[in-house]
Amino acid sequence: MKNASWHFNRRTFLRGTGVSLALPLLECMGAPPANTKRAKRFCGIYFPYGIVSRKPGEEQSEWNWFPDKAGSDYILHKSHTALEPLRDQFTMIGGLSHPAGRTMGGHDTADIWLTGAKLKGNRLQNQMSIDQLMAQQIGDLTRYRSLVISTDGGVGEPTRSSTLSFGRGGQPIPALNKPQQIFDRLFGVAPGSMLDQRRQLENSGSMIDLILEHSKSMRGKLGKQDQQKFDEYLSSVRQIEQSVERSQAWLDIPKPNVEATGLTLEADDSTPETLIQTMYDLILLAFQTDSTRVATYQLGNMNGATSIAGKFPSLLGLGKNMHGLAHGARKGPGGEQLGKWQQFLNTQFARFLTRLQETSDGEGTLLDSTVVLYGSSNHHTHQNLNYPLLLAGGERLGFRHGHYVNYDNKVPMANLLTTAFNKLDVQCNGFADSTGDLPELLI
Amino acid sequence: MFRYLYIFCLFTAAHVIGASPDYKTDIQPLFQKYCYDCHGANKQKGKVRLDNLPTNLLKDNRATETWHDALDVLNKGEMPPEDESQPTAAERATLTHWLQQQFDAMIAAKRSTAGRGVIRRLNREEYQNTMRDLLGIDMNYVAKLPPESLSPDGFRNNGASLGMSGLQLEYMLESARNALKQVIMTGEAPEKYRFQTKESSNDKNKGYFTNRLGRVGTFVGKITDFPDEGPFIIRVKARAELPSPGAVWPRMQLRFGYRADTQTPSEILGAIDIDSEESKIYEFRGRMEAFPLQTRTQSKYPGQLVWITNVYDNGKPAPKQQFKTVEVEVDAPGKKGTRKQKKKVVVPDPEYAHIIVESFEFDGPIFDQWPPKPHRDILFDSPLRSQNEDRYVYEVLDRFMSRAYRRPVKESEVSLMHQFYQKVYRQHGKLEDAIRDTLAMVLISPDFLFLVEPGGKSKRLLTDYERASRLSYFLWSSMPDQELFNLAAKGALQQPETLKKEVRRMLADPRANAFIEQFSTQWFDLDGVDRVAINPNYYPDFDLSLKSDMRNETIAFFGEVLKKNLSARCFIDADFAMLNEPLARHYGLSGPRTRNFERVTLEPGSHRGGVVSQGSILLSNSTGEDSHPIKRAVWILERLLHDPPSPPPPDVPALDSDNADISKLPILEQLEAHRENESCANCHKGIDPWGITLEQFDAVGRIRTEIKRQTAGKNKYVTHPVIATAKLPGGHSVEGLNGLKDYLLQHKELPFAHALANKLLSYATGRSMEIVDEPAIKNLATEALEHDLRLRDFIEAIVVSEPFLTK
Repeated sequence: MKNASWHFNRRTFLRGTGVSLALPLLECMGAPPANTKRAKRFCGIYFPYGIVSRKPGEEQSEWNWFPDKAGSDYILHKSHTALEPLRDQFTMIGGLSHPAGRTMGGHDTADIWLTGAKLKGNRLQNQMSIDQLMAQQIGDLTRYRSLVISTDGGVGEPTRSSTLSFGRGGQPIPALNKPQQIFDRLFGVAPGSMLDQRRQLENSGSMIDLILEHSKSMRGKLGKQDQQKFDEYLSSVRQIEQSVERSQAWLDIPKPNVEATGLTLEADDSTPETLIQTMYDLILLAFQTDSTRVATYQLGNMNGATSIAGKFPSLLGLGKNMHGLAHGARKGPGGEQLGKWQQFLNTQFARFLTRLQETSDGEGTLLDSTVVLYGSSNHHTHQNLNYPLLLAGGERLGFRHGHYVNYDNKVPMANLLTTAFNKLDVQCNGFADSTGDLPELLI
Repeated sequence: MFRYLYIFCLFTAAHVIGASPDYKTDIQPLFQKYCYDCHGANKQKGKVRLDNLPTNLLKDNRATETWHDALDVLNKGEMPPEDESQPTAAERATLTHWLQQQFDAMIAAKRSTAGRGVIRRLNREEYQNTMRDLLGIDMNYVAKLPPESLSPDGFRNNGASLGMSGLQLEYMLESARNALKQVIMTGEAPEKYRFQTKESSNDKNKGYFTNRLGRVGTFVGKITDFPDEGPFIIRVKARAELPSPGAVWPRMQLRFGYRADTQTPSEILGAIDIDSEESKIYEFRGRMEAFPLQTRTQSKYPGQLVWITNVYDNGKPAPKQQFKTVEVEVDAPGKKGTRKQKKKVVVPDPEYAHIIVESFEFDGPIFDQWPPKPHRDILFDSPLRSQNEDRYVYEVLDRFMSRAYRRPVKESEVSLMHQFYQKVYRQHGKLEDAIRDTLAMVLISPDFLFLVEPGGKSKRLLTDYERASRLSYFLWSSMPDQELFNLAAKGALQQPETLKKEVRRMLADPRANAFIEQFSTQWFDLDGVDRVAINPNYYPDFDLSLKSDMRNETIAFFGEVLKKNLSARCFIDADFAMLNEPLARHYGLSGPRTRNFERVTLEPGSHRGGVVSQGSILLSNSTGEDSHPIKRAVWILERLLHDPPSPPPPDVPALDSDNADISKLPILEQLEAHRENESCANCHKGIDPWGITLEQFDAVGRIRTEIKRQTAGKNKYVTHPVIATAKLPGGHSVEGLNGLKDYLLQHKELPFAHALANKLLSYATGRSMEIVDEPAIKNLATEALEHDLRLRDFIEAIVVSEPFLTK
């Protein structure tokens, strides 16, 4: 065995589910570094367009997302059966939404799922998302502040963003969408000797100083509208400045040695199941190796016209694209059709939770120290109310699970965010339009 | 005040079906009838008063908020309250449309740059091409850059939509450093490797490792010694073996590289049609560092691998048995004589076109000289280097930076970089190392990454160098070449005749393929083919590689019209098509024998002339099972007539195809059912008919005589007759595709010319067209029509138009 402390057994990742779940998953071959103990993590996972919601008893209401009644003795519907074994690890939450989103366009709210901002009118200015607030506060403890993933990648367009994460001033953070690139970023070894790398970083540092100086003088020569655009460049330069400083600080600590065996890094949008599983596995690996403690993953954006994720259900043989499924869900056989898509998503999600649960963080399971928020910002398609939300993990942080809570459309979703992030030690009181905590979710 | 609004209504008129209503006569009476009782002079329920609310949204932010709330509640049907008298669906639609128009106009006005554009970052394509032309090495510079955002009018080079982020800049720096390692060389010329073989490497019991490539069979080359970096060349000597004379030529594909420890899969190096039964040498070029390489330390080291296969697809199902096991006699080691061994062999398939590989050769790295040309272009030969190294470096930077910044550079700018160079040089003491880092800095500076056109208080004409860049990014998606720089230096780009002459020169250059590909992809939205998944139950024979053939068909068609300076009317109807073998077969036509696109003359009355009936458009605007007449209609309106309908208001029901009764109906009747709903009818009677004219085409763009719809169960279908007769707005009844084409050519020529002028200018200037550009667009359209809409002439007119030449 190699003596690197982060070596993974080749058998730890086996393709597919079933058999591999019975194996000891992702056993790290060495002890994790001390600072990962007591580490707290967040993962936000979003899917677009909404869920099945028929009146209880109505035909096909067995495919409903939400259980028929609140409490701890609720019955999970058909699309959630994969989650049944994990029942004690999560809470189903109904009746929450962002008040600002209620007056926004039906497809405009993916952008604000983690920000609670109001995107309307001319400027479409978002605010910092809560995951990035966390990244800002604790991001320096890990090599990467956060891991931002989506199926479409990049930033997309305002109100149809293909990222869940927004930095300072609401600037969108481009999402990565190629598994190989994510793997290389997290675990790839930089070329060149340590000396070369150190030298390169030093040079980057002085390079950036000069560029900033030069750019500031250049800015003055630009017209007003150009200046606003140019400021994006300036803030990008400052971001690399920080990332250079971080890389310098982390230079002497080797990247975890993770083998790609069992990961399908070439997966792309033509094979949704493999792609989604690989993305989840990468998030898991990032958490397990403590490469980052903050991750977001947008499974699809709400740009029906351009999203490459829209076709996933058709590729899985469910007959329609995502938007089409959500539109049809209230009529005829549409409930079952969308229900089967929900079932697929939930099965992948359950697999992810299970893997988090089967992975140790040195103190207990990774799941117990990770808060996972899963859901959407549409109830029916176009309806920005009563978001389908599921909060999982974080038992060791003080969350009480195993029940379904419904807030009856009276409480802002920001209250859920502040409740969760307070437990993650993030200073977030007053985030967006929050009015207080949700004590029902806590022990 | 109302005149002010009227102007903006005019502006948005293009986005709304039907005439714009007038507030006093059409709108206010409705508000009065249904709203003023509670939100008027007497009562202000919820503190909302509408009767005196200003309608000038630009000037009154509070009024804007209130009107927006009004739009919301009207759209959702929350107002008027249930127990009050309700507007008819048509009245409600009138109000919501009017409100929506006001908001669109306000947003357009607020975002307006008064026709001056916003500083524009190089997008992915432009960055890729610029790096290639600047550094002289063709490699992938953008593999890690995130996808670009699309502007509201569908372009990927719009300054206002192109953002910037730390991640992007970080990868650009990485890309620049990686590239400069390949450009600036140190030391002696690297060792050259050569590998030759006549036989495929073989694996016991694997019958498909062979020199004879049919439906199955792979030629495997194991290159034992190879370089880690630099350009290489692979030569394959091969010939085709056809099942019958005149049959389609087979196609050879090479995959290169594999890394066992990380299981990094091989990548396609290239594919080529084997178009001769005589032996010929086929060449493939690449760069080592672009492919996964085997690490030499691994225990089972097989060398660098190459897989050659025949990817020809004759569209026929494979025979049931492709392999059989035979017994062969092999030498028995340690014993006398032979023993029998089982071996898997390929079953002969004489119906299939085969490739016979005769030899395989690898050479690398290939350099014309040492140090190679890209190195010498930057670190040029000069006695100055030994006489005054510091001065030499200054010269090097000056030359490089004026090319990178696309203009002469100031001394202060060079000094800044020189200062950095000296700092790095002092630390590390090697010119080449310090130059690499300094050039990397040039490549992330804003002057390189952005097309900088410093602004003043008012609109101004562009300088010569700015004109050179506008031209080159318009027609090449890359930096200007030396000739453009020379013309700029002479001040010649101020003359319209020179600009036009440059267009002709530039379009004849292979770099113009960037324009052909980028502009046609964005104008026609060819990315759409990747957004639709084809349902194999409906189209069991559909080969997914046809999607890229379809995309390439439209690109090739655009290229043909441009290169031959044909009329843009060809986009509506033409007597030729650009086809390759698989696509011709898909359309039921014949002619081409290879995957290369060639011009095919169409029979009169054929359904394949023009863009609308090309597979790319029909498939992108389908459901993957059936046609999608609404999407096809929107495509025609948006792309050909620049008259897109407004998006549906929030919370409208979708086409009710899930209703069991309705889903059995043919699409036409479903649409009728949809239009029976009054709130939909208002818009859809102006939209649907356009798409119905294309009902003769199925989801994959083939002509159909009946429409198949799956009912319950996997293989149960009902069929409906095709009805492609539609009454277009204005009462014109048209019949099918040919009716649509006739109608467009006879009645919509001016709007089409207008649309094309708009799209070309948006792309050429990197900004959305605004109301101030209308006169220029109108002129261009009218003038182009006088010249038969010839495409290259059209582009010549664009580059001398006011919007193109001003900032």
